[in-house]
Parts: sequence; C-alpha cells; structure tokens
Amino acid sequence: MAQESRPVTIVMIEDDAGHARLIEKNIRRAGVNNPIVAFGTGTDALVHLFGADGSGEVSAGRHLLILLDLNLPDMTGVSILEKVKANAHTKRTPVIVLTTTDDEREIQRCYDLGANVYITKPVDYEGFANAIRQLGLFFSVMQVPETA
Amino acid sequence: MPISSRGFARTSLIFILVGMIALVGIVATSVWLVERTQVYFEDVVEARDARQAAVQLRNLLQDAQSGQRGYLLTRDETYLVPYRAALASIPGALIRLEAVLTPHPQATGPLVEFRAQLDAKLAELTHTVELGQTGQFVEAIAIVRTDEGFALMEQMRTLLDAVIAAADALSFEGVVDQRAAWNNLRLVSVVGGLVILGVVGAAALTVIRYTRDLETARVEVETLNADLEGRVAERTTELMRANEEVQRFAYIVTHDLRAPLVNIMGFTSELEAAIEPIGKLIDRHPEDAGDPELEAAKLAAREDLPEAVGFIRSSTRKMDGLINAILKISREGQRQLKAERVDLAETIETALGSVRHQIDEQDGRVEVSVKTPPVFTDKLALEQILGNLLDNAIKYHQPGRPTVLGIEGWQEANGRIVISVADNGRGITPEDHERVFELFRRSGTQNISGEGIGLAHVRIMARNLGGDITLTSTPGEGTRFNVTLAPDLRTIVRNKG
Repeated sequence: MAQESRPVTIVMIEDDAGHARLIEKNIRRAGVNNPIVAFGTGTDALVHLFGADGSGEVSAGRHLLILLDLNLPDMTGVSILEKVKANAHTKRTPVIVLTTTDDEREIQRCYDLGANVYITKPVDYEGFANAIRQLGLFFSVMQVPETA
Repeated sequence: MPISSRGFARTSLIFILVGMIALVGIVATSVWLVERTQVYFEDVVEARDARQAAVQLRNLLQDAQSGQRGYLLTRDETYLVPYRAALASIPGALIRLEAVLTPHPQATGPLVEFRAQLDAKLAELTHTVELGQTGQFVEAIAIVRTDEGFALMEQMRTLLDAVIAAADALSFEGVVDQRAAWNNLRLVSVVGGLVILGVVGAAALTVIRYTRDLETARVEVETLNADLEGRVAERTTELMRANEEVQRFAYIVTHDLRAPLVNIMGFTSELEAAIEPIGKLIDRHPEDAGDPELEAAKLAAREDLPEAVGFIRSSTRKMDGLINAILKISREGQRQLKAERVDLAETIETALGSVRHQIDEQDGRVEVSVKTPPVFTDKLALEQILGNLLDNAIKYHQPGRPTVLGIEGWQEANGRIVISVADNGRGITPEDHERVFELFRRSGTQNISGEGIGLAHVRIMARNLGGDITLTSTPGEGTRFNVTLAPDLRTIVRNKG
C-alpha cells in the first residue's frame, strides 16, 4: 500500500479462523505484504481499535484498513462499523465489509453507516480465492489516510 | 325457549284453522239467522195481510148490513149506495181472505162454513132489499126481525175476529222470534269476533316471538361467520408465518453451513496445491528407489492424497450444490412479495413462449382455456410456478408421444383461482404424489438430470401466494397439477401486517 514511511496495517475481524487464514493467504498471493492483525471476536477488535478506555486515542496517527465480517459471535459487524465511523479518530479509516450475507437491506444499511466497500464472499472456493486476490490487488493501489 | 320452524308452522296452521272455523261459524249463523228473519218477516207480513183481509171483509159486511137496515127503515134510496158498494167489494175481499187462509189447513173447515154463512147472509140482504124495492118493506123488516141475518153476522164476525186474533198473535210471535234471532246473531257475532281476535292476537304473538328468535339466530350466525372468517384469516396468516419461519431457518442454516464448507473447499485446494511440490520433490530422488519409506511417500503423494482430495472435492461440491439449492429457495422466501394486477392468460402465454420451441421439437401442442378475472398476486412468483410446471411437463414427456399440454384457469365458488396444468407425460406413481413436492426428492427413472428442487420450490411459492399445489396422475398417461391462488394477495399481506 502506498504509504512508504508508515505501512498500513490491515485489521481483519473474522470469527472463522479458517476463513481468516484463507483470506490472509490469498491477500499475500496478490503481493500484499502489509501486516495483518486478525481478531476472532468483536470485543478484541474493539479493544485494539479504541483502546481499553474506548476513546480511540490509541488509533491516533495509525494507518488502518478494516476487513469486517458481519457475523460475529459476540456482536454484529454492523455495530463495529457504527462505532468506527462514529469515532473521531477512526472515522476516516476505510472499512471493507466482507461477509456471506447478500441481503439487500443489510448492504444498504452498511453503506448508509459509512462502509467503504461491501463484498459478498462467493460460495465456491475458486470464486472466493479470486475475489480476495482481486481485493489484494485493489489494496495495492488504494490510498489510506492517517487516522486523526 | 326458541320455536322450531316446524312448530311455528303447526301453531300458525292451528291458529288459521281456528280463525277460519270461527269466521265460517259467524257467516253460516248470520246467513241462517237472516234466513230465519226473512221467514219471520214473511210470517208477520202474512199475518198483517190476513188481518187486513179479515178486517176489510168484516167492515164490508157491516157496511152492507147497515145500508140494508138504513134503507129498509127509512126507505131512503141513498142508503143503498154504501150497500151496493160494499156488496160489489165483498167477493174480492173474500178471495183475498181465502188466499191468505189457504196455506192453513186448520182454517179450511171454518172457511167452508163461513162461505155458506156469507152466501146465506148475502142472500138475506139481497132478498130484503129486493122486497124493499118492490115496496114490500114490512115483509122485509119481518125477515130482518127474525134475527137470522144478525145471527149469521155474529157467526161470521166470530170467525173473522178469530182470524184477526190469530193474525195478531202470529204478528207478535214473529216480532219476538225476530228479536230473538237478532239477539242470537249479535251473540254469535260477538263470540266469533272475540275468537278471531284471540286467534289473531295469539298468532301475532307467535309471529313476533318467532321473528325475534329468528333475529337472535341470525345475529348468532353472523357472529359465528365473522368469527370463522377471522379464524380462517388467522390460520392462513399463521401458515404463511410458519412457511416464512421455515424459510428463514433454511436461510440461516445454509448460510452457516456455507462458512465451514468454504473452509473445507479452500483448504482442500491448498492441500492439492501442496501435493504438487511434494510430488515433484519425491520424483527428484529416483536413486533412493529401494527405500520403502520413500516408496510409501511416493504412493501417498501420487495416488492416496489425490484420491482423498478428489473425494473431498466431489463431496463438498455435492454439498455445495444442495446448500445452494436450499439457499435459492429460502432466498425466494425472503423476497418481499409484490401484489399487482396480473392477467393470467397473458402470463401463461409468456411462460409458454419460453418453452414453445421445445414443445415444437416434440411435435407437441398446447390447449389454453382461461376464464378468470384479473388476479392480484406476485407476478414473478406466478411466472416461476408456471415456468417450473411447463419445464417439468416437457422434461418428463413420454418418449415417442407428441406432447399435449392443457392449461386451464378458473375461479372456484369460494373465490380461489385455480390454474391447472395437464400433460400426457410419463406420469407419477401414486406413492410419489406427495414425495415429489419434497426437497431433493424425485420420482421415476432418474434418466433426466435435475436437483429435485423444482416442485418443492413451486409448492413454497404457491403457499406464499396464499394457495397450494396438488397433483393427480396416472403413470404412463400423464399428470395434472392444480395450483390454487388467493385471488387477492393484498388482503392476506394486509392481514399479515
């Protein structure tokens, strides 16, 4: 990703470890070498993004990109999206929703809340791997702003 | 206690009968009494006639006698004027009296006597007057002095007085009888009137009670009806809700099944990809051919692993297919139905249009007869139902027989729309009639590819449209699918909300 001095960190929030691994593998195959931090639960992810106090100051000055699954065991991805976009420090952080749900209303809601990209995971693995690889290619040309 | 309709009819009939009898009684008695009155009146009239005749005859006789006496005593001719006049009138008066008395047999004897006395008296009168005319007044007076004429006169007077008395008595009796008849008439009328009044009152009371009972029953029936309609609507809504529930469940399950499946497929691919370099590595060491471990590793890398991966792949692919099928159906259930005005004939034509070339290939023909009003339903779902049924009809045709499809549409008495799709295909055996509507179940020889979801899908859609699908079939002859639809989906959707 085009940030020479401070590389963008990809925050992956995905409850399925297998999916997380496959996503990482395929992103790597696309030539993306940025660090990837994976979280299996929403709570862990929120701590990472907003700190223990929940203020979000820990994210100040970071370059983050969030890969978000909507089906999490402890909360819905939508509420994480809501918090990220509502926080002064993280609101400019790109959020890519990557989930199995293709419900029209869910998609609309995510974009309404400020999601930057919504991707439905293809059912078959070929399509899945392909989509992730293309996402990786997209990452390499994408500009990520510094968080406030 | 409510009156039964039979009881009401019987009571009414009895009331009518009693009323009729009372009325007939009044009329008959009236007629009879009037008749009686007529008779009494005639009696009275007759009595009066008899009296008059008797009185007149008595007066005439008296006039004649006075004239005779006056003439004989005074020898004055003027006395003869009333005498002659009386004499001239007597025969007429006699005839009148006779006429009046003829019907009374008891009067016959006295009348004969009376006539003899009258003749004798008249003869005495005529004789004495004639004597006087010839100047023989002394002789004439001598005849008078015999008192024979007077005696005759007295006898006749007795009879006439008897007649008069009898007539008076008759008259009186008639009047009394008539009054009695009138009293009877009044009594009968009053009693009859009271009876009729009572009957009418009772009948009116019964009618009012019956009407009130009917009204109560009607209100009850209406309440029950409204209740029933409500219950039917409730049940329909419950069914549709259950259907939705199942579909939502299917959606969630398939969704959650997909996630691990993607992992299985993904890591299988990774495994496959990993086999390749391992295989190459082993191939690069031919010099160790005698090493049994290497041989085993070679076998594993070249045969066992690819075989295992192959099975995993084919199984996951099959599972993926099934999950996709369920997902497709559940997604259809998730879709918001949109009720719009649908012309059935047009929709059927459209559906036929997309299979026309297949029908032509089988030398087939289609007969369409649609007699329904426009339907308010979800057009897309209806098109899918028809499309699926037509596809099946063509897919499962009897080889070597030209396909004949019959599509009919009509409205049932209860308002439901029925679309019937009949084919002359290979048919479905009776034990499979329900099974074919189940997911992944198919009937007959499995020589035609398919997932076994078409009819399950159709049934779900038909139920979503407030209807259902059933079939009748004779194996080897054909199958008829009957799809029922709610005529107006909006009412059901509204009930759901």
